Amino acid sequence: MAVRRFLGWLLALSVTAALLSAPVWAAEHPYVLHMMVLICIYAIPAVGLNLMLGYSGLVSLGHMGFAGLGAYTAAVLMVDARWSFWSALAAGTVSAGLAGVLIGLICFRFRGHFFMIVTLAFGLLLHAIMNNWDAVTRGAAGFAGIPRPKPIAWGDTVIAFGQLPNFYYLALALTALVFALQYLVVRSNLGRILGAIRQDERLARSRGVNVLMYKTVVFSLGTALAGLGGVLHVSFLRVAAPASFTMLESINTVLIVIIGGAGFLVGPVLGAVVFVALPEGLRLANEWRLVIFGALLVLITLFAPSGLAGLLGRLWARLGAGSKEPGP
Amino acid sequence: MNEALLEQVINGLMMGSIYVLVALGMVLIYGVMHVVNFAHGVLFTMGGYLGHFFYHRLVDSYVLAILLSMLTLGLIGVLLERGVFRPLAGNLRNQVIASLGLILFLENGVVALWGPNALQWKVATTERFVEIGELRFSQHHLGIILITLVLVAALGLYLKYTRFGTAIRATSQSQEAAIVVGIPVRRVQWTTFAIGAMLAGIGGALVGPLFLVFPQMGDVPLIKGLAGILLGGMGSVPGAVIGGLLLGVTESVSTLYLPTDYRDSIAFMVMVLILLVRPQGLFGQRMRGED
Amino acid sequence: MSALQLKGVRKAYGGIVALDGAEFTIAGPGIYGLIGPNGAGKTTLFDAIAGTVTPDAGQVLMGGRDVTGWASHRMAAAGISRTFQECRVLLEETCLDNVLFAAQPKGLGATLSQVFTRSNRHRLQLHDEALRLLSLVRLEAYAHAPASVLSFGQRRLLEIVSTFISSPDVFLLDEPASGVNPSLLEVLMDFIQTMYAERPRVFLVVEHNMEFIMSLAQDIIVMHQGRVLERGTPAQVQASPQVLEAYLG
Repeated sequence: MAVRRFLGWLLALSVTAALLSAPVWAAEHPYVLHMMVLICIYAIPAVGLNLMLGYSGLVSLGHMGFAGLGAYTAAVLMVDARWSFWSALAAGTVSAGLAGVLIGLICFRFRGHFFMIVTLAFGLLLHAIMNNWDAVTRGAAGFAGIPRPKPIAWGDTVIAFGQLPNFYYLALALTALVFALQYLVVRSNLGRILGAIRQDERLARSRGVNVLMYKTVVFSLGTALAGLGGVLHVSFLRVAAPASFTMLESINTVLIVIIGGAGFLVGPVLGAVVFVALPEGLRLANEWRLVIFGALLVLITLFAPSGLAGLLGRLWARLGAGSKEPGP
Repeated sequence: MNEALLEQVINGLMMGSIYVLVALGMVLIYGVMHVVNFAHGVLFTMGGYLGHFFYHRLVDSYVLAILLSMLTLGLIGVLLERGVFRPLAGNLRNQVIASLGLILFLENGVVALWGPNALQWKVATTERFVEIGELRFSQHHLGIILITLVLVAALGLYLKYTRFGTAIRATSQSQEAAIVVGIPVRRVQWTTFAIGAMLAGIGGALVGPLFLVFPQMGDVPLIKGLAGILLGGMGSVPGAVIGGLLLGVTESVSTLYLPTDYRDSIAFMVMVLILLVRPQGLFGQRMRGED
Repeated sequence: MSALQLKGVRKAYGGIVALDGAEFTIAGPGIYGLIGPNGAGKTTLFDAIAGTVTPDAGQVLMGGRDVTGWASHRMAAAGISRTFQECRVLLEETCLDNVLFAAQPKGLGATLSQVFTRSNRHRLQLHDEALRLLSLVRLEAYAHAPASVLSFGQRRLLEIVSTFISSPDVFLLDEPASGVNPSLLEVLMDFIQTMYAERPRVFLVVEHNMEFIMSLAQDIIVMHQGRVLERGTPAQVQASPQVLEAYLG
C-alpha cells in the first residue's frame, strides 16, 4: 500500500517537474515545446466536453463550433477593436459560454438521437457563419494577423509571448487552471448532481434536481472552455481559419475524450497527448494518423469503453492488489 | 423567370434524389435498429471511390461499375452491422461514437489510399444532353432522377409485397413483437443495413462523375440525409422520400433568391426548425421519449 | 386544511383515459393504501401528484396549496418523495451516497458556491442519520459499496430508505413490496411502521400484495378505471362486493 502511494507521489512530482522545466530539456528540440502547446490547446476544449459527455451524459457533436465562436470573437476584438489579449480571452470565453446557454436551452428539449443531431446542426451552423460572414470573419480564407499577448514587464525582466517558451508557460498555466476547475466541479455537490443526471434523469428530478437548469450550467461551462481553447489556439497560430472548427474537428474532440477516458479527470489530457504526440512518436505518415485513430475509437468503444484512463486505472488497482476498488 | 424556376426545380429534383438515396438507407436502418447511422456519409463516399476504381481498373461499363460498387458496399454494410453495431446494441451513446470512429477511419482511409485530391471521372452520360423546352440537361442529371424513382418504387414493392420486406416492416414497428412472431430479427438487421449501405453506395457512384470524387464528398449528403428524414419524419419511409426531394428542390430554388453561399445552411435551419416546431416531421409517428 | 387533496383529476394519453375524475382527501398523517386492478390509474395518479405529468383537468392540493402541474423537482422541494414501480437507485453511487443525495441542497447558488467553499455541512450532519436508516433495513454493511451489488429486493429497500432523509411530508411508495422476497417483507413493514411512529406523516402506498397492504395501512383507497371506487378500513374494503367485482369483472 505504502509502495503505491509513494509511486503515485513520485509520478506526480516527476510529471510536474518535467512540465515546468520543459524549455530546458527540450531546448534542442523546439518542436517538442510546440507539440506540448498543441496538447494544451486540444486538452482545454476536451475538458469541457468531458464535463458534458463524460460526467453528465450529454453527447454534443458540435463542440468545436463553440471553440470557433470564442476564437473569432477574440480575433475581431483584438484586431478590429484593439483589445488586449487578456480582455479578448475573457470575452471569447464568456461569449462561447453564453451561446452555450442559448443553444443548450434549445437542444435540451430533445433526448437521445435528436439531442445529438441538434448539437451537430448548431455546430454546422456556427461553422457556416465563420465561413460565410466575410465582412466580420474574413470568411474561408482565414483571419490573419492575430497577435500574441503583449509582453509583460516584471521588474527588470520582460516576458514576450512571441517566444515559444513563454507562450508554452501561458498555455500550461491555463490548462492547469482548467484542470483544477474540472477537479473542483467533479468532486463537489455539483458533480454529484451531474452524475445523478447522467445515471438516471427521472430519479434525479424526483429527488429535487432541476435537470434543465443543471444541464444548461454544465453545457455552458463546457462551451465556455471550448471558447477558451479556441482563443488560445488562434493566438498561438496567429491566424483563425474555419477549417479548424469543422464537424470533423468536433469528432476529433469526441475522439480525444473517449480514447483518453470519458468521465475520468485525466481523460482529456491523456487523450490530447495521444492525439498529438503518438503519431510523432511512431513516425506515422500524416494520412494514416487519423485512419488509425478512427480504428482506435471503434476498437476502444467495442473493447475498452472506459478508455486509456480506465485501463490505466485497472492496472493501478492491480498494483495495489488486495484493495477493493469499485470502479466505474 | 418561369424557365429559371423550372431549371432549378429539375436541378432540385436531381439533388433531392441523391438525398433520398442517403435518407432512405438511414431511415430503414433507424427503423430496424433504432440507431442513426452517422457513418452513412462515408458509405456514400466509398460508393464514389469504389465506382471510380471499378470503372477505371476492372470493367469498361459504367453500369457494371455501379453494380459492383453497390455489391461491395452491401458486403461492407454486413460487416459493419455484425462487427460494430450489433455488439454495441442497446447502448446508443457507444453506437454513435463508434460510427464517428468509422467516419474518421473510412474518410481518412480514402485519403491515405487515393490521396487528398479530387478524382476525375468521365462517363458518356454527362456529355450527352436532353432538351426540355428551352432547357438542356445532361442525360446523367435525368438518369439520376429516373434511377432513384425506380429504386424507390422497387423498394416500396419489396417492403410491401415480399415476405422478407414485411419482416423488415414488422421489425421496425416493434422488435419485441417481431421476435415473438418468429421473425429472424438479426438477419433483418444486417440485411437492412446492407440495403442502406448499397443505396448510399449507388448515390456516391452516381454523383461521382457529376461533382468529382473526393474524400469529403459524403459529409454534406450525410447532413442533407439527416435533414431529409427529420423533415419527412423519423421512421417514415415515404417521409424520407418526400423530405429528401423537398429539401433538394427548396435548396435549388432558393439559389434564385439567396446568395448561393447560404444554400447549404438551409438544411441546418430546416433541421433546427423542424425539431422545434414539429419534431415528428411531416409523416412521422409521435417521437418516442428516449429517456 | 388537508394534507393531500385531489379534485376531479383527469389525464388521458392519446385515446386512453388513465385518470377520469380521480378525487379524494387525505386529512392528515397516516398510512394509506391505494389499490385497484391493473389499469386503474394508480401509477398515473402518483405521477400527477409528484409532478411527473400534468393533469389535463382537476387540481392537486398539498396542505391547502394548489400544486397542480408543478414540475417534479419543485414537488420534491415542496415535501413530496416518491419511489418508482420499477425501482430506481443510483447504481454507481454507494448506498450511503444514495441515501444522502436526497438531502443534498439542490439550489443553484448553494451548489455553485460549494464548488469553491468545499463545505460538506449536510453530509457531516446527516452522516449518522443515514447510517441509522441503512441499518434499519439491514444494509449498513453495504454503506460504502455501490448500489449495483445489491439484489433487487435490497435495492427496493435502499430506494425507500433514500426518500426518508429529506424529511418529506408526503411519501408516495409505488409497489414497495413487489420483487421483495418474503423474509425482507417483514423488514420492510417494520421499517415503514417505525418511520411512521418516529414522525407521523402521510404515507400513500400503492400495492398489489393484499396481505402486505391490509396489515400495513389503516385506510384503503380503491381505484377502478381512473377514479376512486371506494374507501374504508381494510376490513370494510375487503368485504365490499363492488371492490370484488372490480377485481374479478
